[in-house]
Amino acid sequence: MADDDDLLWSSSTDRGSEVRLFDRNRHIMYLQMNYEILPSGYEGQEINRLTLAYFIISGLHILHALDHVDKEAVINWVLSLQAHPKNEAELNNGQFYGFHGSRSSQFHSLDKEVSVPNNSHLASTYCALAILKTVGYDLSLINSTSILKSMKCLQQSDGSFMPIHTGAEKDLRFVYCAAVISSLLDDWSGMDKEKAKNYILSCQSYDGGFGLIPGQESHGGATYCAVASLRLMGFIEDNLISQSTSSCIIDLPLLLDWCLQRQALDGGFQGRPNKTSDTCYAFWIGGVLRILGANQFIDEKTLREFLLTCQSKYGGFSKFPGQFPDLYHSYYGFTAFSMLQETDLNSLSVELGISMF
Amino acid sequence: MDSDEDERIPLSQRPEWSDITPVPQDDGPNPVVPIAYSEEFAETMDYFRAVYLADERSHRALQLTSEAIHFNAGNYTVWQFRRVILEALNADLHDELEFVEHLASKNSKNYQLWHHRRWVAEKLGSEAAGRELEFTKNIFLNDAKNYHAWSHRQWVLQNLGGWEDELAYCDKLLEDDIFNNSAWNQRYFVITRHPGLGGIEGIRDSEVNYTIKAILTKPENESPWRYLRGLYKNNMKAFVTDSKVSTLCLKVLTSKVNCVFALSLLLDLLVHGFEPTQDLKNALESLIPESNNLDSDVAARVCLVLEIMDPMRVNYWRWRKSSLSSHVEDGVKNLSVH
Ligand SMILES: [Zn+2]
Repeated sequence: MADDDDLLWSSSTDRGSEVRLFDRNRHIMYLQMNYEILPSGYEGQEINRLTLAYFIISGLHILHALDHVDKEAVINWVLSLQAHPKNEAELNNGQFYGFHGSRSSQFHSLDKEVSVPNNSHLASTYCALAILKTVGYDLSLINSTSILKSMKCLQQSDGSFMPIHTGAEKDLRFVYCAAVISSLLDDWSGMDKEKAKNYILSCQSYDGGFGLIPGQESHGGATYCAVASLRLMGFIEDNLISQSTSSCIIDLPLLLDWCLQRQALDGGFQGRPNKTSDTCYAFWIGGVLRILGANQFIDEKTLREFLLTCQSKYGGFSKFPGQFPDLYHSYYGFTAFSMLQETDLNSLSVELGISMF
Repeated sequence: MDSDEDERIPLSQRPEWSDITPVPQDDGPNPVVPIAYSEEFAETMDYFRAVYLADERSHRALQLTSEAIHFNAGNYTVWQFRRVILEALNADLHDELEFVEHLASKNSKNYQLWHHRRWVAEKLGSEAAGRELEFTKNIFLNDAKNYHAWSHRQWVLQNLGGWEDELAYCDKLLEDDIFNNSAWNQRYFVITRHPGLGGIEGIRDSEVNYTIKAILTKPENESPWRYLRGLYKNNMKAFVTDSKVSTLCLKVLTSKVNCVFALSLLLDLLVHGFEPTQDLKNALESLIPESNNLDSDVAARVCLVLEIMDPMRVNYWRWRKSSLSSHVEDGVKNLSVH
């Protein structure tokens, strides 16, 4: 989710676009087209279909265009991807019962006695709940006990989270997913917050940013996961920079300085020092600054100009200027413009990564 | 069959698969955001589903996971089943290393691939350390900042060993590209975690010298400035009293170009209680246009110069200036704690 070199199928260029305003209508058309059917270029990501759906549906919500979505169909589809334990014993078997990322990782058996493989995933679970919340589904109707009780098994002794019980990398992305899931379900019994906090703190690097794991290089996406999680868990307050820094659990002056230095000469944000500006970091870093109460330090004019060079004439945003758009960068382009208070856009809950409702 | 080739034979036409009934994806009555799958993608996954549901741990199933991964490298279920098969067949894991290396040569930015690689390396144990370090080194030839590869390398060092040449390797990468922030980070990782180096206090002096040299070649390079500050992370007293740091600031300010990071570090020194020398005050003076010569506080003057030299962050430097008094208090408090 927080990889800076994210999506890979768009390499051809799309030059000659003269548009220099945020083109809301084209963006709506772009998302609508993808909502109808995703081109085969996305098949390599089909395991994360819920995430792709999240970009489209939450994107339409930010653009004030949710009426294009069949909410009933969306709710039924998302709910059909939830993994349900057959009984109490199965719930305690160490597996995670969240949401499958797509039908391709979900298996059914006609025989009620036979257990089918369960491949539900933390990131998919976050996206499922985010979509449901976006289309107005009452999350208290969800069987959250099985999600939260089984989520505990994914937390490691160092506080980090693994996304799937069959084994995968453990890092800040999944601490963030667990925190949003708990926040959306309004129940923190599925994670040890204190341990999660200590893990996050151990990821703050010598330069003030956060790496995905302790010792790793500071990175915009990881820094967002760290700060947003701490905020969701209540370990830091809103507008942190207006308070005394000496009592803060993170090194705030270094973090603030590191984040602001990520705005490059071209106006865009880079994910790491000495790297190229990329659309998505306008959200990852811009979001951190917003949580810290420091977004007034961003040079909004040049940021807007940079983002518009990444706006495609077909709608959507690309990673770098003049390329074809993709859903990931489009979504974070929209969220960035929402934070820039573009007219006719819904405002954002930055730490949840979805629009306000 | 090499699935890279264009003349891929459909699985349905391969005799060795004739006994398998493919299991199509059941997308339900009202699928949301359906994907226009290509034919070969859909077919491969249909056969994979059949084999997976039958839990067939065979050589042909292993081969099928290779093909599925070729189309769908992010599918963690396929990777996980591949590991189950490898274990069941007691396969030679060195072949598996080759498989991963071949894939990585085409696309090395995939979390599943790196998780798989770690699984293999973990099974092979410390004998694998050299090859793993070499593997990441090869990735860095094309992309010296590959985040996955750096994670893997740090894991290898911490779990399988191979620390001996790591600082020299950082030297080499920084020689190739002094702006490579990943290499600076790795350097910090080595000096703080290498079990044989004895920690940051012992090595600080030589590292400071190394870093100052790097800064003076390219004062506009943010990475060594951050590294330098990091060397004093848990010892602000040494940060404020080490004359090498303030001398460096003086040198860069005197040159009058690319001063932003020097000014920023100087500001950091000042809020932590540093008393500026007359030379430093003079160097600062020469950077301020006469008309702006109003503030007597040195830190405030540094902020003023930063407002002018770093206009993109003018609001930030103004805010830093306005919050100076409270910051100095914090700094003094911190000093008295250490
Ligand atoms: Zn990006």
